[in-house]
Amino acid sequence: MILEDISTLLQKGKAKEVKILVQQALDEKITPTMILNEGLIKGMSIIGGKFKNNEVFVPEVLVAARAMNSGLEILRPALVASGAKSVGKAIICTVMGDLHDIGKNLVKMMLEGQGIEVIDLGVDVDADTIVEAVKTHHPDLVCLSALLTTTMMNQKVIIDALVKAGIRDQVVVMVGGAPVTQGFANEIGADAYTADAASASEAALAFLRN
Amino acid sequence: MKTIDAYKNDLDQTILSSKKMYDDAVAGCGGNISFRALPPSDIEIYNDFDLTKYNYETDLDAYAESLLAGMEKSFAARKDINDNFFPSIGPILGIGDYSAFVTGEIIFRKDTSWSTPCLKEIEDFRNLPPLGTSKWYKKFLEISELLLKKTQGTGIPFMRGFFSPLDLAHALRGENIYYDFYDDPDMVHELLDYCADATIKFAEDIYALNNKYNGKTKYGTWYTKGKINMSEDIACMISGAAYNEFCAPHTQKVIDHFGVGYMHCHSRAMYLVKEICHLRNVAHLWLATDPNQPRPIDHIEQLVKAANGVAIAIDCDTFEEIQNHYNEMKKGNFSICLPVKSIEEGIKYTTLFEQLKNK
Ligand code: B1M
Repeated sequence: MILEDISTLLQKGKAKEVKILVQQALDEKITPTMILNEGLIKGMSIIGGKFKNNEVFVPEVLVAARAMNSGLEILRPALVASGAKSVGKAIICTVMGDLHDIGKNLVKMMLEGQGIEVIDLGVDVDADTIVEAVKTHHPDLVCLSALLTTTMMNQKVIIDALVKAGIRDQVVVMVGGAPVTQGFANEIGADAYTADAASASEAALAFLRN
Repeated sequence: MKTIDAYKNDLDQTILSSKKMYDDAVAGCGGNISFRALPPSDIEIYNDFDLTKYNYETDLDAYAESLLAGMEKSFAARKDINDNFFPSIGPILGIGDYSAFVTGEIIFRKDTSWSTPCLKEIEDFRNLPPLGTSKWYKKFLEISELLLKKTQGTGIPFMRGFFSPLDLAHALRGENIYYDFYDDPDMVHELLDYCADATIKFAEDIYALNNKYNGKTKYGTWYTKGKINMSEDIACMISGAAYNEFCAPHTQKVIDHFGVGYMHCHSRAMYLVKEICHLRNVAHLWLATDPNQPRPIDHIEQLVKAANGVAIAIDCDTFEEIQNHYNEMKKGNFSICLPVKSIEEGIKYTTLFEQLKNK
């Protein structure tokens, strides 16, 4: 019941209430993993699905993600103490020449909603910065967003730079953004394309589990 | 730059039919369809023009000369296409100038630009420098005046669009604006009201300049007199209900100030057509086709219903699509744009469109 409430309040973006209920759930000795999966992640997945179907919009997703983060703040120490492993790590950005960040931010939040640690490099990010970030942070996933037909080619420039730096096989490269298609993703040698944020987080999780 | 009649054969006719369409639109009557061919030469200027090449501090003349040369080339190239296109001039600086006129700097890239959000807290807008004092406010007027001086006597109308209050608020506040909807709705209204006032002042100053140089020409103030062009891009991120609550009153304030609204939105927000078209005195809505969204041309019936007579500008891929939807489109007002491969093809389809119209 309490996990159901966490999920429902998270979907309504009620950060304070989510925080209180997560603490209460911990006090009731519900396992941290259970709270994460059946409360926080479940709520975020429902919001992601509703967004995909135009039932909710960008502000609703953002406040839900904020509520999730406030719940995670309380949960994190308990998760670490319980020995729960981090699901994985991703770096994300909008590629160079492109400032569109709304979709990228939603993908980031949905990834975080699946328990993935995300390092956000921002917008207008060039290949050298990505290569450097991969060397520094050792992520499992590199997530590239592009919204312009003129900048989607920069996803390829980044993949080529990863190859050149000899680190391409260390990461799974995921691409997306309005003009990007599965065909384009295949052409540039990306590992995955997804059309929306919810599917991106599902695909990311599938990669990490394998 | 030559006089406008050198670039347009049927000047009066084009204006007359546009005027009829927009008057009908505001009155809520349908029955008008206009056609625009889009040859590559219409957009080459955007590909060829490199915004990073100019020194906006010291050499505006080089910028103005090169911009006008590009515009002249594209007007001259399409002069034999007798569609409803109408030449116009105005600064092209990317998208950064749409918000940097309030405050801040513009980051230029070859074919675009942007400015970065500046409001850490939503109420910080109260501490912004007085409107009209920022670097890019003055610079924009300087550039506009230069273009107007250089084209004075040609009668080519000056054209400038603006962000809607919500688009401007988003540019100033960034993504935080979405949280503000929930956390501080009253302050969102205050910020949007500030943005409406900012747009009104900026547009008034630009229009006054246009009037100074073009006021006595036949069509020089066609795009500015009693009109305002505004984009509602960020509205694509919110629901119809949120649009009505937060955006509509402030967008309406700007429209009411000038008279008639010419709006722009995206097929991503097809659900918002009704909301935007039900604002008072909206004559036109350019609904851009987005790559990952349904195409407006496939939803004419829905658009006619939602548009309330407002002229909807959309594009299509083939002339057959226009033929197939012609009768349905006649129930409302539509401005249809067809990309063509060459000037010859533009002439051909304009002729075919005239035949279709006269059938
Ligand atoms: C890693 O794996 C993944 C997986 C999935 C991924 C992913 C990564 N990244 C995204 N996804 C996916 O998941 C997300 C959530 O489900 C989705 O993300 P999206 O980003 O697609 O969706 C968001 C949730 C909502 N969608 C958006 O945020 C984009 C909406 C539209 C209307 C749009 C907006 C809002 C803006 N714009 Co821009 N803009 C358009 C857009 C039209 C459209 N429908 O795409 C588009 C992208 N813009 C365009 C243009 C031309 C431009 N814009 C520009 C500017 C702007 C604004 C500043 C006004 C604003 C951006 C604000 C911001 N901070 O992001 C300029 C470019 C600036 C630049 N250098 O980037 C400018 C060049 C305009 C100009 N005159 O300067 C067009 C590109 C055309 C093209 N063929 O390239 C455009 C398609 C509009 C159009 N129909 O013409 C999926 O794509």
